[in-house]
Amino acid sequence: MNPQNAEKILQAGLDNGADFAELFIEETRNASVSFQDNRVETATAGISYGVGLRLLFGTDVLYASSSNDDPEHLIKLLKNLAFTRKSSNFMSIKGNYSDKSKSYFQKILKDPSSVTQDQKLPFLKRANESARKVSPKITQVTANALDVVSEIQIFNSEGVFAEDRRILSRFSVGVTASENNERFSASESPGKGAGFEFFESLQIEDLAQTAAERAILMLSAGYIQGKKMPVIMGPGFGGVIFHEACGHPLETEAIRKKASPFTGKLGEQIAHPSLTAIDEGDIDGSWGSIKIDDEGYPVEKTVLIEKGILKNYISDMVGAKEVGVRRTGSARRESFHYAPVSRMRNTYIDRGNDSFEEMLSSVKEGLYAKKMGGGSVNPATGEFNFAVEEGYIIRNGKIEEPVRGATLIGKGDEILQKISMIGKDLEITAGMCGATSGSVPVTVGQPTIKVDEILVGGR
Amino acid sequence: MNLQEAAEAMDEEARKNGTSEFDIIAIESEGMGVEVFEGKVKNTEISNSRGIGIRLFKDNKPGIAFTEKISLPSIRQVITDAIAHSKITDEMYLDFPEVSPIKEIDLKLYDSSLDEFDFPKMIDICKKMEEVALTSNSKVVNVPYIGASRSFFQSVIRNSKGVNFSRKKNGYSGYLGVVSAQDNYKKMGIYSDGGLDYKSFDPEFIAKTAVERSVELLGAEPVKSGPYPIIFSNRVSKSIIGMFLSPFYAEQVQKGRSKLKGKLNTKIASEIITISSEPHIPGLPGSSLWDSEGVPTVPISLISNGVLKSFLYHLESAKKDGVKSNGHGSRGYDGKAGTAIWNLIMEKGSSNLNELMNMYPECILIHKLEGGSGCSAISGEISIGAQGFYCKNGKIDRPVDRITLSSNYFDLIQNIKSISNEYSPVYSSFKAPDILVDPVFVAG
Repeated sequence: MNPQNAEKILQAGLDNGADFAELFIEETRNASVSFQDNRVETATAGISYGVGLRLLFGTDVLYASSSNDDPEHLIKLLKNLAFTRKSSNFMSIKGNYSDKSKSYFQKILKDPSSVTQDQKLPFLKRANESARKVSPKITQVTANALDVVSEIQIFNSEGVFAEDRRILSRFSVGVTASENNERFSASESPGKGAGFEFFESLQIEDLAQTAAERAILMLSAGYIQGKKMPVIMGPGFGGVIFHEACGHPLETEAIRKKASPFTGKLGEQIAHPSLTAIDEGDIDGSWGSIKIDDEGYPVEKTVLIEKGILKNYISDMVGAKEVGVRRTGSARRESFHYAPVSRMRNTYIDRGNDSFEEMLSSVKEGLYAKKMGGGSVNPATGEFNFAVEEGYIIRNGKIEEPVRGATLIGKGDEILQKISMIGKDLEITAGMCGATSGSVPVTVGQPTIKVDEILVGGR
Repeated sequence: MNLQEAAEAMDEEARKNGTSEFDIIAIESEGMGVEVFEGKVKNTEISNSRGIGIRLFKDNKPGIAFTEKISLPSIRQVITDAIAHSKITDEMYLDFPEVSPIKEIDLKLYDSSLDEFDFPKMIDICKKMEEVALTSNSKVVNVPYIGASRSFFQSVIRNSKGVNFSRKKNGYSGYLGVVSAQDNYKKMGIYSDGGLDYKSFDPEFIAKTAVERSVELLGAEPVKSGPYPIIFSNRVSKSIIGMFLSPFYAEQVQKGRSKLKGKLNTKIASEIITISSEPHIPGLPGSSLWDSEGVPTVPISLISNGVLKSFLYHLESAKKDGVKSNGHGSRGYDGKAGTAIWNLIMEKGSSNLNELMNMYPECILIHKLEGGSGCSAISGEISIGAQGFYCKNGKIDRPVDRITLSSNYFDLIQNIKSISNEYSPVYSSFKAPDILVDPVFVAG
């Protein structure tokens, strides 16, 4: 959209009584190729395009989205939104930035727009072959290579005009193993904020083999006896525990609705003194990274918890104002269809000093959750759950037989106090996070950690 | 260009480019809604979006492309992209449906009077819900989630054999989430309803129900670990059934991802279980006269008295098995076809919930399930957090939380001992009564 049209629309917003007006214009091209059943099953590509128009009356949010960018159409939507409102003049927004038409572009070696879809085929075929080679028990392999190129413009009534071009690539391989009418599936899905070079950098064979071996391992796994026990969680996707149990309740979106156990706890000891947790806006090339947030605000590295003490919330413009904290560049949305709210980016528990051996030897009977699955949380009550994808029983400090995926449940504010040992092997892993403003790419991460006690589902 | 014109233009461009096998889907949706917190309208939203896409075949190879920019140049780009894609995919076979007569049933999916459900009316019902929630019980500490909205959806499906269907539907919804507290514990109760007749929405009932569902779980404690008879109340029974639908998809069976492979016409569930896909029930949101591949829908029995009767087919899986699609194709404008479920109906039994609770000296009545990450439709494994009530001698004894349930779906449906005669009244395309299962392993 050209700045003249944007200005016209923003002015109409202010003329209709808004304290603040913002336009988010997005054009996103998704292109993916899928392999399944030993054949190239689908190749698809398309362009999503539209405009999100946000008005603020105080901290009340009025939002319209449309795939029609005609200024007259948008002004009509804006009038429909604003007709019951009067300006409150409650909030005078002043950003600490005034750069006009500032562009934030990622460093990309091979832009997906210049690569044809057929160039993804060799990677998919290699994944299929490697997974099937592991065992005749492998009955299905699916592989997918996806890239997303998103071009956004943000204009607001404070004079911000920012542009960003965000590029993501993700490769996933899912493997099903079968034996005696038992079936298990396992998958690996790495992703990066990178172009086609990401696919070239992957150890495709290793990924496929890892997924295949896990699916086969689970075929022969038994059940763990369900009860409260110590759990050692492996690095990387194990960070989903912090993401669900603590990350979401630390978003100002939950705090402002008093729907978080951490409301009013800034400066208090909320976790074990060995725990430091970070939400970082821009780790170079990471799947969860952004240069500016979806309000055009520059991102930062936000220390959430330092040595057990709550230091910061994760905030957007409205959340920061309502909760009375500074902005952290964490306003995010899936697309122009959603108004932005505070969301996580790259969230991880920082490195500690404990060794894996020390953790193991401290456990008489427990669970080693080598690989975690997904999870969810109810921030208002703190009740969270997540699943173990690959787990082993620990007996007398030794890792023993594998056990089938189990659900772990608990309360966020309680579990934080029980993370007692933290390793040095920090890894971060790509995932998708769903919440009020849609599904956004994030990373979760941690070194290996030990939780003293958590309820493990089983038999 | 409206939706019909866009589909027509895409059809024309596809033919000009030498393709004679294709289908086109165009979709437009509109919505508006509000959210209220502490007496103020915190969020007000209007949305509309459109998109169109094609799935075409060249030498039996599929190519898919779409756009949300509806203009002639974009439509031409879509055709170019889809043709390029058809050069890299492998062969895939299906027969697009011919034009055929469609049943004339008023499915009651659209009501123009919903246009009257405007922002002031939405705000009124939200404020009323909040007021009732905050005053009806002293244990209520917060009402973080209150909202009301309405939506409109229309679509056009068109194929190279002359099929050209369009449909529209609309609906409204209202919801709230209430938090109550006791000692150091908080519990949330959620209730929502919706449909086409916004005048029938009863904010007082909705709010009181959410409050009741929050307060009733205060003071909950775990139970001792072990196997228990479990009643999945009709608030959650449809979620358990809904998490394990993919084994019934022919496509999953063919790809070795269903444990029901080879089980057709064998007993896979308790003989009291009958489940069907019912696309023609007026007033239920899942109803449709044709699927998104243009195939007329028909009711399909999935399980009859415990016996597996049919799988759900779309065009591709039907061609592979040498049968006709039974109208369960699902496709948006932006991707490949998957399998659709219309209204999924589990037949009721004859006992009421109290009679179910009386069948064993003790049981756990589950009202809440927490997350689904520990459940896999491929293995059938179920490991899930739950909350509800411990029942003794047919009576509710005390609330229960911090427990997990462990079972396997394919064992669970065999172990259903009884089902009730009551569905949840909530507007939903899935209907299942209360289900009593024994045993389910509980960890607490």
